Amino acid sequence: MELTHFDTTMKLLQKVLDLRSKNQRVISSNIANAETPGYAPASMSFESQLRDVMHGPTLRPVTTRPGHLTVSPASLDEIQGSITRHPDRTGIGDENGVSVEEEMMKLSENQLLYEAAVTMLNKKLALLKYTANDGK
Amino acid sequence: MDIFTTFKIAGSALKAQRIRLNTISSNLANVETTSTPEGGPYKKKSVYFETQNIPFSEHLKSNMGSEADKAVQGVRVARILEDQDPPQRIYNPTHPDAGEDGYVEMPNISVLKEMTDMMSATRSYEANTTVVKSAKRMALKALEIGR
Repeated sequence: MELTHFDTTMKLLQKVLDLRSKNQRVISSNIANAETPGYAPASMSFESQLRDVMHGPTLRPVTTRPGHLTVSPASLDEIQGSITRHPDRTGIGDENGVSVEEEMMKLSENQLLYEAAVTMLNKKLALLKYTANDGK
Repeated sequence: MDIFTTFKIAGSALKAQRIRLNTISSNLANVETTSTPEGGPYKKKSVYFETQNIPFSEHLKSNMGSEADKAVQGVRVARILEDQDPPQRIYNPTHPDAGEDGYVEMPNISVLKEMTDMMSATRSYEANTTVVKSAKRMALKALEIGR
């Protein structure tokens, strides 16, 4: 789905919803495997990539030759989010690195931010509807 | 947007914890069982978990890339094994299953261990129902877009 007729804010919100629902899957996978021996929890981050696309990267790698690859995503569509694995290094127990408390916090944070994005999107759409109806 | 993947992951965990709870209740029920159809006292059974790459990962590969794809995994019971601890021997010559020397072989179950294991299974089950609740709220919220 592509909202080409709408502004950047809407595209951004759309992308945020997409990434948040992916993040939800990653977190639920961690909670499901909270007692699986040897499981290394994954965490997903995309905030800095979003910021880079919206405001330009803080550190822009220079491409001096045509064959050079760009490091950070150039447009919203390219943002995938990056996954980091955190293996347990404590050396005790079954080498499972999941902290259920931490994951539950991440879960509610993710859910709240998802709902916030939906609310924002609804505000934008309501505004559009208002204009389309000649301000009635 | 595939909201149902979360349900599948949390569902796999709920199922695994349910099996674990069943095994624990079987252990607790048989804590005094001295004779079994296989012969000898009841042996404690333990559940072992492993990660599960359910077919939905195939679906994810198309829109998430292989790196993120590997991060989404369910859980399943890999096997249920009998504990190899020797049975506890208790002196009770009047017991019908007592041996020549008057000792009865009792199951190798520690009620305390089973109870803590049960608490752990319950908490894990609860955490996963919370995940389901959260996913449901997000899905319902998404349906409100443009309403």
